[in-house]
Amino acid sequence: MPPVKWLMHWHPNPGATLNSQILAEASGCAESLGGSKDGRWKTSIIFYRAMARDGASAGAGGAPPQQPPDVPRELLGVALHERPGLYFSILRSHRLVLQADAAFPQVMEKLQSYKARVTLNFEGFQYQLGDFCLRIGKCVPNNSETLRGIMMEVEYYPLSSIEKSRAVMEDFFDIWQETLAKKSLPGHFIHVESNFSEYGLSDHYSFQHTAVQYATCLQQLMAAVTVRG
Amino acid sequence: MQQQGQAVVAASLAPASATHQREDARGDAPPKQVAQAMERLGRAGRLIADIRLGADRLLEALFVAGDAPPHSALQHVERTALAVVQEETAMHRHFDDLRALGRQLEESGVLNGALKARGNSWGLHMPLVCPDGAVVAYAWKRQLAGQAGASAVDRTRLALKAFTDQKRRFFPHLDDEGLSHLPDGESENEVPNMKIFTYRRLDWSKRAASLASLMNDDFVDPSKELNQQIMSKMRSGHETTAMDQVAIIELLVPSIFRAIVSLHPAGSTDPDAVAFFSPTEGGAYLHARGQSVHHVFKHVTEHADKALQYFVNVEPSKALSLLLRWVASYQTLFTKVCSKCRRLLLMDKSLALLLPPVQRPYHQTSSVGSDPQDAYHIGCSSFDV
Repeated sequence: MPPVKWLMHWHPNPGATLNSQILAEASGCAESLGGSKDGRWKTSIIFYRAMARDGASAGAGGAPPQQPPDVPRELLGVALHERPGLYFSILRSHRLVLQADAAFPQVMEKLQSYKARVTLNFEGFQYQLGDFCLRIGKCVPNNSETLRGIMMEVEYYPLSSIEKSRAVMEDFFDIWQETLAKKSLPGHFIHVESNFSEYGLSDHYSFQHTAVQYATCLQQLMAAVTVRG
Repeated sequence: MQQQGQAVVAASLAPASATHQREDARGDAPPKQVAQAMERLGRAGRLIADIRLGADRLLEALFVAGDAPPHSALQHVERTALAVVQEETAMHRHFDDLRALGRQLEESGVLNGALKARGNSWGLHMPLVCPDGAVVAYAWKRQLAGQAGASAVDRTRLALKAFTDQKRRFFPHLDDEGLSHLPDGESENEVPNMKIFTYRRLDWSKRAASLASLMNDDFVDPSKELNQQIMSKMRSGHETTAMDQVAIIELLVPSIFRAIVSLHPAGSTDPDAVAFFSPTEGGAYLHARGQSVHHVFKHVTEHADKALQYFVNVEPSKALSLLLRWVASYQTLFTKVCSKCRRLLLMDKSLALLLPPVQRPYHQTSSVGSDPQDAYHIGCSSFDV
């Protein structure tokens, strides 16, 4: 049973830009709280777009291609750092999260039903703070260095129940904000609650919960980019 | 070739088998029995070595014959056949001797049915697991020394049983009331969220191990855990576990903590150790003297040790119920703020750890009534840490 985890993303002040300075300061705060750096982490998200069927059946010369109306246009694939053998696919429109094998992207490649459009990597360092684990990372597209976002994972090892750990996680978040506020950075971290019950997930934390949190986080990040851009 | 071999064996009937002495082993004093048994076992060891050598020679002969170049094949085969026959004779002799020795050892009580059933029956190399779970390298040595496979635990238990029986017989008024009254006044009314289970010591190790495999499953369903618990209790047949065998009490507040209390001696109401763990932990290290992998529970356990010592020294007759009630107060471990600084998490400067209030006062807990349950961080408590 994986321990509970909260995802937070950096929300820049209006007009402020993202830069790696923020990342460095956040890492410094983790260390000032007694955190010891103990490795790197990387989670990847692939945006899939539904393909129209015309490409595959061109030779058949049959009726014009029809896209069934209820096929979701968009699919998210999540490869979590803590479980390299698994892959999670999320249909936000249908509130579905599924666990699959790590070969999922190759299968999708062959099926050609959905095509990978964008791959985003969340990567950075991780810090152990007693019973907490902090992962602070930047969000960059796969073949680029452009910083798209900054986010962090906070994990609390002793507990797996979301409700029972809420007070502790909120308290940690407050302490984190206090510590970071001393650096006067142009923005702050936000934790946005994901609606786990909509996805059929229970109070006991699981990798599916993490995948859903990433989807939520991504939504927030994209919204922030749109506003700025 | 087979028939030849048998004929040869029949002819050379001189069994150099062990002496047919059928002395009555029981009549001899133990030291002599030991000496005889040791000597026989030594001989058995040598016979086994001979048999192994013989087998090697047989194989070698067969390989040589198999590898022989075609032009000299016939000679090799003939030579091999001779060697095989000779070896076979010797082997039969060794086996006969061994059988005879085995019979003697059986009669003298060194080899018993349980050992034989194990296949590797001589116990010379394989570790033997005694009935009480202790692992013994040389079971026969213990048997020869008159301990018949008993380990230290077995002997202690027998001694304790004898003592308890005599105590019950000659001093009936000193008898403890036992655990039977425990659940009544106890936590079921006050702490509806806490579940209490009792175990014999070995049963607990099995449960701890099963928790490890349960927790490692990615698809674990927490309600399964409780079901499995109930199922295994039903299967093992003791509804409330014979009171005089209860040695472990498990207190589980789902999703918050699991506390293990050990009683010593088994069946008494005297706690002698307590430890706290996360409900997600499992494995052989989960016992009353074990340590959680999580800092928060490590520190709660440290504090619990002091509380236990206090209860046992100051109110020995009520120590267990006080302890259980005190353990139950930890339900609020992750929600109750410190009574001094009013915060939940606090960075402990000396430990460099963020911890919730892991200390709860254990003095004056025998007073009845609504005693507000305080909680303190390690650095915030007013009394001795």
